[in-house]
Amino acid sequence: MADQPTAGTEVPAVRLTSISKSFGAIAACDRVDLTLRRGRIHGILGENGAGKSTLMKVLIGLVLPDGGTIEVDGERCQIKDPHDAATRGIAMVHQHFSLVEPLTVWENVMLGDTGRFDAAAARRRVGEISEHYGLGVDPDAKVGDLSAGVRQRVEIIKCLRRDPSILIFDEPTSVLTPGESEHLFDVLRQAVRDENRAVALVSHKLDEILHATDEVTIMRAGVVVQRMETSEADAPMLARAMVGREVSLRSEASALGLIETAAAAETPDADSDGQIEVAGDSSGTRVPALRLRDVAARGPDGRISLDGLSVDVFDSEIVGVAGVEGNGQAALTDLLSSLLSAESGTVEVAGTAVEPGKPGAMSRAGVAVIPEDRHASGCVLDMTVAENLFLVDIERISTRGLYDPAVMRRDAARLIADFEIQTAGPDAPFWSLSGGNQQRVVLARELSYSPKVLVAAQPTRGLDVGAIEWMTDRLREVAASGVGVLLISSELEEILQLADRVVVLFRGRIIGEMARADVNLEELGLLLGGSDAAASAAEAA
Amino acid sequence: MNEQARPLPAEDSAAAVSAASERAPSRLSEAGVAAAMYLGCIVIALIVSAIIVWVTGGSPQDVFSALLDGSLRAPGRWGETIGIAIPLVVVALGTAINGRAGVVNIGQEGQVMMGAAFAAYVGVNLAGPGPLVIVCLLIVGALAGAMWAGIASWLLYWRRVPEVLTTLLLITVASQATGYALKVDWLLLAPFREDRSVRNQVSDQLSTGVRLPRIDIWGNDFPISSIAVVLMAVIVFVLFRRSVWGFRLRMLGRNPRTAQRAGVSTVTYGTTAMLISGACAGVAGAMMLSGGDFGNYRFTPGFANNIGWEGLLVALVARSHPVGIVVVAFSFAGLRAGSGFLAATGVEREISQVVLALLVLALLVPPAILFIRERRRALSATRDRT
Repeated sequence: MADQPTAGTEVPAVRLTSISKSFGAIAACDRVDLTLRRGRIHGILGENGAGKSTLMKVLIGLVLPDGGTIEVDGERCQIKDPHDAATRGIAMVHQHFSLVEPLTVWENVMLGDTGRFDAAAARRRVGEISEHYGLGVDPDAKVGDLSAGVRQRVEIIKCLRRDPSILIFDEPTSVLTPGESEHLFDVLRQAVRDENRAVALVSHKLDEILHATDEVTIMRAGVVVQRMETSEADAPMLARAMVGREVSLRSEASALGLIETAAAAETPDADSDGQIEVAGDSSGTRVPALRLRDVAARGPDGRISLDGLSVDVFDSEIVGVAGVEGNGQAALTDLLSSLLSAESGTVEVAGTAVEPGKPGAMSRAGVAVIPEDRHASGCVLDMTVAENLFLVDIERISTRGLYDPAVMRRDAARLIADFEIQTAGPDAPFWSLSGGNQQRVVLARELSYSPKVLVAAQPTRGLDVGAIEWMTDRLREVAASGVGVLLISSELEEILQLADRVVVLFRGRIIGEMARADVNLEELGLLLGGSDAAASAAEAA
Repeated sequence: MNEQARPLPAEDSAAAVSAASERAPSRLSEAGVAAAMYLGCIVIALIVSAIIVWVTGGSPQDVFSALLDGSLRAPGRWGETIGIAIPLVVVALGTAINGRAGVVNIGQEGQVMMGAAFAAYVGVNLAGPGPLVIVCLLIVGALAGAMWAGIASWLLYWRRVPEVLTTLLLITVASQATGYALKVDWLLLAPFREDRSVRNQVSDQLSTGVRLPRIDIWGNDFPISSIAVVLMAVIVFVLFRRSVWGFRLRMLGRNPRTAQRAGVSTVTYGTTAMLISGACAGVAGAMMLSGGDFGNYRFTPGFANNIGWEGLLVALVARSHPVGIVVVAFSFAGLRAGSGFLAATGVEREISQVVLALLVLALLVPPAILFIRERRRALSATRDRT
């Protein structure tokens, strides 16, 4: 274990010593030491469940530790609640936003304030912070109209407004595009360098840690396994420390954020190459598993969300839909989940036209979906695991409108075993499962009715390395078994790693398409930005 | 070898362990906690009632004794209690169905009125063999209740008018409309009789042939609709536990988006649930009229007599469980029947009403606590997930 880096004799901003916290029999943190210094960004790296969030919650006062000491600016203290933490200058930007959509930015920032309240001054202050850090947030914009990246910046303003000396970021980039992440780290750098704040950056992405931090603490299963200066670290070393074994970087590259796309594009591996040929040979004659033609649709707010979208997915093929988020990904998933009707255009599954907005029509036609937000349309939290495994096709185990719960439980137990779902049993409530296992339940169910097409929308978002590896392997297997896979993802690496063919979604339509072997990153980048020149070039090619 | 045996991510195993420790012994202990809570609440309610009665100069012992006499102990009284429980069960079963689908119906009081009024019209005016007329009046009552709930459902899916408001407001419309029907001869008003100086605003009495037969057990008599009601509870139980329809209804109630994706049409299933709920309230009204325990086979103004509201409460207290509904409905009916005997104790009416209200409250508190606890647990579980 490396020695703690010594940064002069100044008093560290925060020193956590031997912090322990158990939940039941599980030790989330086991005698963890952590030192945050002013003027430095400290990365905390670990898989989901490694204890990093618990540690941060101790620091912000959301969790009281079982043991250990906390020193802030050399003074030993107890942090009882987030308010307590705030008065000591500690603030946290949470992974999930807590913003009120109908309110404006400055109103959201001021929420929770007590006492006298000067609207004009508050507005001005929000504008100042935004300008000072180059956040580019309009104080009068409605939060509901903002993209995820801008919302994150609103959260940062909320945090910075109290001028905290210690900032904690919990997985800040999980909803950001690469460009937005870059921007975020620039802001962080500035806050650290010019204003001498201390920053803790919690992440499970290696490239973030490598690019943005000065030192790094790696946690695994509740203990610190390594800490080092970031300049001394490299990706394989961090990955090994985090996972506790050699990592096959191929399937986990996207999880770890190792961008090796250029290399991958130059030397495509054999099996995907072969599949492209199959698809290319027969696309004229073979009926696609899924065919969308000139589909237009409006979102619930009346805005056009899909604008003449056309795409084909053939059997055994993984088609990656790349694009910056907010260009129609959600609408496309909704359309294929029977949650949105098309205003014009056609949807065909294996040659048969389907009316997408009709409840259950898509799943009945054989379109399985792993939704982006599984809590919204992929499961029922209050039902049991077994029931969630049969949401779509309860008919399979029913006769004359009645089903036998015992049969359901038995079949569910088999699926639980097949998909290695960690649960107390078929009768456990769905909400008691962890995110990765909830995702497994969704996948198990969607595959259980022998679909022709599988739509996977951001299938690995929020999952840890192990779960991502599992999910990507399953997607490959599914495609290999003959199912057409439509992979909708805003993580380019994920698409380049899995897809046989890449299409680019921009403002509700497909503006470019290329076989995996022909992917030119520069051109792809231009397409993602909606460049017309690139679009016409791609069409010509 | 060692590399393969990767330890579970702590989060997963933590969830599994906590779920296991919560689940395995939970069923029993959960039930125990619930039972203890009910017992505790009832004891507290009894103590508080006793104090109130005692402070206002009455005898708590007399009051409780009268309640027990009126509901069970005195001759013929438990038959009376069953008679009151019948419509409560039916209304509550309907409420359980719309609750499961996630649509709100709080207009049972009005639907009961409509059901009873239409049943009265059929029962008085339709000529034919008795049993056939009885069946007809029950069906018409059900249709009337369904129609009344259907208006709310139609407004909901046509123009997104909140069903909480429409069902509630339609109660007033129902009571005014039936009140009007009792004012005009060609609708429900009983024909003028020479031997009466005052003309009461009531309907004609159902003739003996179109009344529901009554069962007599040891001097306790109650209408045979009681058997149908138990059967209905069983059917609803099976629907909830084993039917695809019930499964999908629950899916709709708990997560409409997931339901739509899985082929459950919000409009179709929501409307069906609402219509069934209204039909239950309507048929409850028809059973009240033809059963004889309410209004002596006549339709009167205010005929529903809070049965709709109380049925709603029964479903709430029983947490929409069909078996629970039968038990709770019987308890509520007991309180209603018992309250008839309270006047004889000399305790003031206001005070005896407070005692009854306290006992109802005692039954309402535990399900509320249980519900909040469950909600909290689910919420915290989702929060810890991130």
